[in-house]
Amino acid sequence: MISLAAVERAFEDDPGAWSPEVLAEADEREEFPVGAVEALDALGVAAHYVLGPDCDFPRSAAVLRAVARRDLTVAIAHGKTFLGSAPVWVAGSAAQVDGLAERVRGGASVCLALSEPEHGADLLAGEVTATPVGRGWSLDGEKWPINNGTRGDLATVLARTDPAGGGRGFGVFLVDRAGLADGAWRCLPKARTHGIRGADISGFALRDAVVGPEALVGGAGDGVAVVLKALQITRIACTSLSLGAADHALRLAVRFVAGRRLYGRTLADLPHARRTLGRVVARVLAAEAVALVATRSVHASPDELGVVSAVAKAFVPTTVQDALGLLAELLGSRGFLVEPDGFAKVERDHRVVGIFDGSTVVNRTLLLTQLPRLGRLLARRRYDADGVRAAVAGDLPPFDRDRLTLVSATGCAVVQSLPDAVDRVRAHPLAPEGLLALTGPLLAEADAVRDEAIAFTPTVGGLPAAAYRLAERYENLFAAAACLHRWLAHVDHADGPLWTDARWVRGCLAHLLDRPDDAVSDALARAVLDHPGALSDVTR
Amino acid sequence: MTAPARADALARLLGAPPDAAVLDADERAEPWPEGERILAEYGLGAEFVPVAHGGRLDRFDHLVEVLRSVYRRDPALGLGYGVGSFIAAAAVWTAGDERQTASAARTLLSGGRIAAAFHETAHGNDLAAVDCAATPTPDGLLLHGRKEVVANIGRAEALVVFARTDPRPGPRAHSLLLLDRATVRDATDLPRHATTGMRGVLLGGLDFDHVPVPADSVLGGLGTGLETALKAFQVTRATLPAMATGVLDTALRIAVDHLSTRRLYGGTALDLPHVRSVLAGVFTDLLRAEVFAAVALRALHLAPGSAGLYSAAVKIAVPRLLLDAVDRLADLLGAHFYLRGGPSGLFQKLLRDLAPVGFGHVARAACQSTLLPQLPRLAARGWTTPTPVPDGLFTLDGDLPPAAFDRFTLHAGGRDPLAAAVADEDRPDLADLAASCASLRPADLGVTATPAHYDLTTRYVRLLARTTWRRAHLDHPARGFLADPAWSRAALHRSDHPRVPLPEPLAEAVLGELLERHRAGRSFGLTARTPTARPDSREE
Repeated sequence: MISLAAVERAFEDDPGAWSPEVLAEADEREEFPVGAVEALDALGVAAHYVLGPDCDFPRSAAVLRAVARRDLTVAIAHGKTFLGSAPVWVAGSAAQVDGLAERVRGGASVCLALSEPEHGADLLAGEVTATPVGRGWSLDGEKWPINNGTRGDLATVLARTDPAGGGRGFGVFLVDRAGLADGAWRCLPKARTHGIRGADISGFALRDAVVGPEALVGGAGDGVAVVLKALQITRIACTSLSLGAADHALRLAVRFVAGRRLYGRTLADLPHARRTLGRVVARVLAAEAVALVATRSVHASPDELGVVSAVAKAFVPTTVQDALGLLAELLGSRGFLVEPDGFAKVERDHRVVGIFDGSTVVNRTLLLTQLPRLGRLLARRRYDADGVRAAVAGDLPPFDRDRLTLVSATGCAVVQSLPDAVDRVRAHPLAPEGLLALTGPLLAEADAVRDEAIAFTPTVGGLPAAAYRLAERYENLFAAAACLHRWLAHVDHADGPLWTDARWVRGCLAHLLDRPDDAVSDALARAVLDHPGALSDVTR
Repeated sequence: MTAPARADALARLLGAPPDAAVLDADERAEPWPEGERILAEYGLGAEFVPVAHGGRLDRFDHLVEVLRSVYRRDPALGLGYGVGSFIAAAAVWTAGDERQTASAARTLLSGGRIAAAFHETAHGNDLAAVDCAATPTPDGLLLHGRKEVVANIGRAEALVVFARTDPRPGPRAHSLLLLDRATVRDATDLPRHATTGMRGVLLGGLDFDHVPVPADSVLGGLGTGLETALKAFQVTRATLPAMATGVLDTALRIAVDHLSTRRLYGGTALDLPHVRSVLAGVFTDLLRAEVFAAVALRALHLAPGSAGLYSAAVKIAVPRLLLDAVDRLADLLGAHFYLRGGPSGLFQKLLRDLAPVGFGHVARAACQSTLLPQLPRLAARGWTTPTPVPDGLFTLDGDLPPAAFDRFTLHAGGRDPLAAAVADEDRPDLADLAASCASLRPADLGVTATPAHYDLTTRYVRLLARTTWRRAHLDHPARGFLADPAWSRAALHRSDHPRVPLPEPLAEAVLGELLERHRAGRSFGLTARTPTARPDSREE
């Protein structure tokens, strides 16, 4: 499988496909980035989209991040094959998995067909039907908007197998377009979108689309469960898209701040501008800590992904979008110009990450339905310590799809281990005073969230507005725990200006706890301005 | 506040344009042709000309309300057809002699444009660094250099150029020139700048190659350019963000249209408490923005010596309110925000068009730099021996003396009538702020001020804004929503706890007003005007 380093080398070696001018022009003209997508195919990047016992999900996520760092539209256009094939990886038969793995490695494009024109996130409202015919099924109805709805060779389609619908009334079907009768698959028009303008966001209408029994993934009533399990993993994969966008924007911002002259100085000489840049760095590093721990959790604690994926998909895109908002103001009119390798495109493209695969509010709702139990488990301080260790660093166990479950019985080990992580930090000889000072407020916040979570009663007919703030605070605890664990795991051998005085983790905690951050933000900004490689010292 | 009859007349002329017409122009990156025709027919230029010079400008709040009629439909039309001319004209009214003001009035009253040629990309908000030079010669001046990212510079009948007339640094090194475009030869049009929002605004540049210009084109004497600009900006810093509230008004309407018809989980999205809470918060923020701006606009008439404080404060606070609110609406719309077509297709354009409200014209950080040096004097004088509050400052419906441009001063000299109206509850905050400001040294006040010192301006602006919300409630006649205690409680809650949803009964009270206005087709801003209904023809 192609390595991350080889993918990054290929960007430099093939400037044609990856030229900022070409990508910007495709964006303005709303053309699919054919050259870049073909280049990824030629490199065999799609092999990273095959998820099985011998996969390395964090490594695959890092490859997707590297592509997103180059161009988010391309990453979304190409990475959709992972989304589309995920239901097969989590629930397909051995024959389905082997067959699709071969197709994906061979460059076939697979789309995930959940959305319907009238029902976005509401899976149970889907109207596409699957009717038994002979030994197989006939599919009918429209899927739109779908990423790669027109260019997809295959689609995983959620369809109603029981006319009455319900939790057990849907099935997932792997539909091979080439195997359908003429006219059974009709492409629907491309949606004109705010960002990712070149991506193929379209759809298709199925009419008497007859597929064999081998197309059904899982049982005829398993569709919703299969999709929800697949989403646990794809939602974590989405965080790579956000991190890639953040990397890209930070590179542009550092260059701007270092080079922009105002009032006889550079912007980097203005403390006020440095604070903004430092705040962006803190947000991006907090998002990265969550994403890296979540990505490793796919191997380390698959039985808890129902919580972890919701936290990661709510926290990471939101935090990165917030960081991009700060940068937009810092860049001013420069960030508003349409230009090759420009900030404006990154900002527009990234706004979709918080929307697809379950929006932030959908994921917070999911988290809230589990929150009272999560509060009680946090109070007990019991968790799978081996799982947490593996989610943070070191060797990973093989991915075991049979451990995926819709509801995590053990809660969220990362959050439940927070008080112990604080104890370890407090006992650590390298923990500076500035970090220790934040641990008290962090524990106080953990206690408050725990108590409010236990007292919270999810209601039917819409959760109260205040609950969404509570979900956000729980996400922040996850992020704080992820930061502390990563610091503990690496501090003994880590080096670089962001590790000095635990700067990066202090910056993250100050942001997460809304504490004074002037000094640490300034230190973070100076670190990335003075040391171009500083950020990669943390990403390990 | 009531709108002038002519704002309604213009709204009627503009009618309810199909979103498709406005969106098509945006896609083509051209001004909306029908909109330009209507504004020409209405004679929008006269709105920018004071009554004394033959135009219709008598009150700044009425000017804003007229332009809101345009911004509600197409922000790019508002900025692109007119507002650039207003920025230029404000400098002429501030410093021009009789001949110059008559000439500018003639241009605008006959439907012409005046381009405000201040900006040079290399210097951004740093006006004192402007390079474009007008060198005095025996016959006049020789203009040499470039002006960039200027609206309508390629098609304006006249120009106001900010140029260096003295090579030495200092506050008297620049002058403003009023030029008849037809007499400017040897100037080359620079390529148009493509932007991600406000795409219909023709942003261009001119490269002057030793262009001779007459000596009597100088406004207000050689060396007065910076002073004139800073006085004129006291008007534009307040009026431009105030006009942009019209963008949020329409964005909110699109959101309510969508959410009240969107079927989700067996009801409409509007049934969900979270959705109701976000909408109530956004509506509150729209009114917060309009009330704060309205008081600052009244101060331009009633307290011109201190109005510069409030204009800068509006520019700091109002864009942040608007940008955050539109982002929250985008989250509610989810995938429908991201589509450039369909019933909500206009929303993404509004989001893109709103972006420059923060950094455009004069950036928020530059306004903080305006306020910071004034704080020590305000603390020592204005907040201890209060300046009397002018009659009617908070009576938004009250009469105003005619708009005048010759009474503004560069510094308020410690006079702060708004601070004199700070409520008892906020007095301790003001005293605390005064204590912090008392210890500021001159070195703390420049562009290299620490973030902590910049934050003093944020605290000051917050106190001013809260004062306007309270007093607009107390001084309001017993009709209308501002008279409702729910309004001031909601406004203060949003200020005290920006991340905590409004308590449910309060949110419901606010939402009730919002939905009633939506049902009746009235606007969501201060004036609650009709007609503002979006057309049925927007359905595609």
